[in-house]
Amino acid sequence: MNSMGAHVICGGLTFEGVPVELREKVAFRDAQLPDALAQMKKMLGLREAVLVSTCNRVEYFGATTQPDRAASAWPDFLRQFHAVTEDFSALSFQLRGMPCVEHLYSVASGLKSMVVGETEVLGQLKDAYDVAHTHGQTGKWLNRLFQSSFAAAKSVRTRTAITRGHVSVGSVSVELAAKIFGDLRGCRVMVLGAGETSERTARSLLRHGVPSILVANRTFDRAGAIASELGGEAVRWEEWEDRAVDVDIMISSTSAPHYVLTQEKLEALLRRRERRPLFLIDLAVPRDFEPSINLLDDVFLYDIDDLQSIAQTHLRERQTEITRSMEILKPHVERYMEWAGRQTGGSDADDLSRGLVSA
Amino acid sequence: MRLTSRVHDRLWLFLATLGYLASAGWGLYALGSQRPLANRWTFLLIGAAFAMHTLFLHQRGEAIGHCPITNLFETLAFFSWSLVLTYLVVGPAYRMSILGAFTAPVVFLINFFALAAPIDLPSTLPHLGWPLELHATLSLLGLGVLGVAALAGVAYLIQERQLKRHVLTSWFYTLPNVGRLELVQQRVLVWGFLIFSAGAFLGFFIPHHGPDDWVKIAWSAVVWCLYAALVVVLALGRLSHKKTALLSVAGYVFILLTFWGINSLSEAHVFPHEG
Repeated sequence: MNSMGAHVICGGLTFEGVPVELREKVAFRDAQLPDALAQMKKMLGLREAVLVSTCNRVEYFGATTQPDRAASAWPDFLRQFHAVTEDFSALSFQLRGMPCVEHLYSVASGLKSMVVGETEVLGQLKDAYDVAHTHGQTGKWLNRLFQSSFAAAKSVRTRTAITRGHVSVGSVSVELAAKIFGDLRGCRVMVLGAGETSERTARSLLRHGVPSILVANRTFDRAGAIASELGGEAVRWEEWEDRAVDVDIMISSTSAPHYVLTQEKLEALLRRRERRPLFLIDLAVPRDFEPSINLLDDVFLYDIDDLQSIAQTHLRERQTEITRSMEILKPHVERYMEWAGRQTGGSDADDLSRGLVSA
Repeated sequence: MRLTSRVHDRLWLFLATLGYLASAGWGLYALGSQRPLANRWTFLLIGAAFAMHTLFLHQRGEAIGHCPITNLFETLAFFSWSLVLTYLVVGPAYRMSILGAFTAPVVFLINFFALAAPIDLPSTLPHLGWPLELHATLSLLGLGVLGVAALAGVAYLIQERQLKRHVLTSWFYTLPNVGRLELVQQRVLVWGFLIFSAGAFLGFFIPHHGPDDWVKIAWSAVVWCLYAALVVVLALGRLSHKKTALLSVAGYVFILLTFWGINSLSEAHVFPHEG
């Protein structure tokens, strides 16, 4: 290593090898980050530093001429900063050179996320980089590394299906609603019953633009409580059929032992409706909506198994996109390594490419 | 018109048809590729093929000094051209470039049969002026617009079937939502009907000699009544979106299957061959 050069290194704890009980002990709050960065930089002997702390990972990225020192000092830094006694050395991964670059690009692209393809991690990386950059803790190595990782992640997102398809019941419901209605801002939603999943699904719909929600429950007070939480309107149980005439999406999770909505009842209701599609989400077991309802034109019925099956399929499809995503990342990684090689006059290019992995 | 000129302009239509074939292939790939940018290429390929298609019509029109609808070959080429023109307007306007994957195969097939069949026969041209040209142009344009409505209907039916059966293939993510598909399908259907009606209506004002062309009149009346009924029930809200799409597709299949035969049988709509 010459004086002009530096190793890009990274290490830390992730959900893959460290349980949440341990990760939560060493997570950094946003307000702690500037101090933590300064301390970490000093202890680990880093020229440049970025600290990433999310619910799934606590990782550092750095540029240094002393990579071994950084690897050994990281567990001590965690212990000291958080005043904990656990030894994280065996639980921490350490990478340098090309494997580190590949790691960051993969994380930014969502390839190493608990839910593969999720995009939230990219925002978290951007925030972590912004904090470090704003506090003057980054330089040419990490500036280029992080900025190129954002471009690489964008390339993966636009050229693969890694982010396609939702992987939870709530988000699958939102996706289906969007494929039925397009814009959800004009959709009226009714929740029947008071299940936790139906509430979560309703919240997902609200987040995606649904203006308001009607809540009907056999116990009116319970309907009122849920409606106030969701910012919606409570409806008396005996009135729900009348109010359903104007509804576009119905989510049901009552504990009724029989069908709450039969085909006959729905046919009568459809005659009173304008000619609009109706999306029915049946989250109850036993089911609330008679399955033959799905045979009616302009009616789309999904039960809990349908939604879970779609979520599982999406997850499997995302997994199959990982290899293709890695291929897309390859030239981005090579470009960074070439640039890094030029910075060190070429003498460190091989060294950088070799990397070092320890666990 | 000289034979060399005919060969020359047919070459443009041949190249355009190859372009539509490439667009159809790429469009089908784009539908299943799960690559968000793939659809743009379908649109660009169709645009390039359309430019050659237009060049063919322009050169043929220049050569015959008439709107190029003087024989069945030209009529089919104009018919498919109006289909593409409508797609090129509707696609960007409603962010429906994906409809190109459905438009290109239909246009390719129409052009292929037009080029393959011995129907490009020189005709003696009637001198009936702009009412005839406007009548023919609007009628064919109307049929083209109705074609795009039917293709949007096909896309709607595919998407609706996936949603109903809970089987979400890669097409599910590429095709637009059913709400937008039904909106486009129904709006374009109404526009197609109005343009076709205007064209058919103008036909009554064209001076002609000899007996009326009852074959073509009856066929046009059937097509008009079919679409008029569809537009009316649509306006009354009596038909489900699925049935509207089905009828729109069925109506257009009827047009495609009978257009050639009717135009061959029709007397007043076939100009006498030269020589």
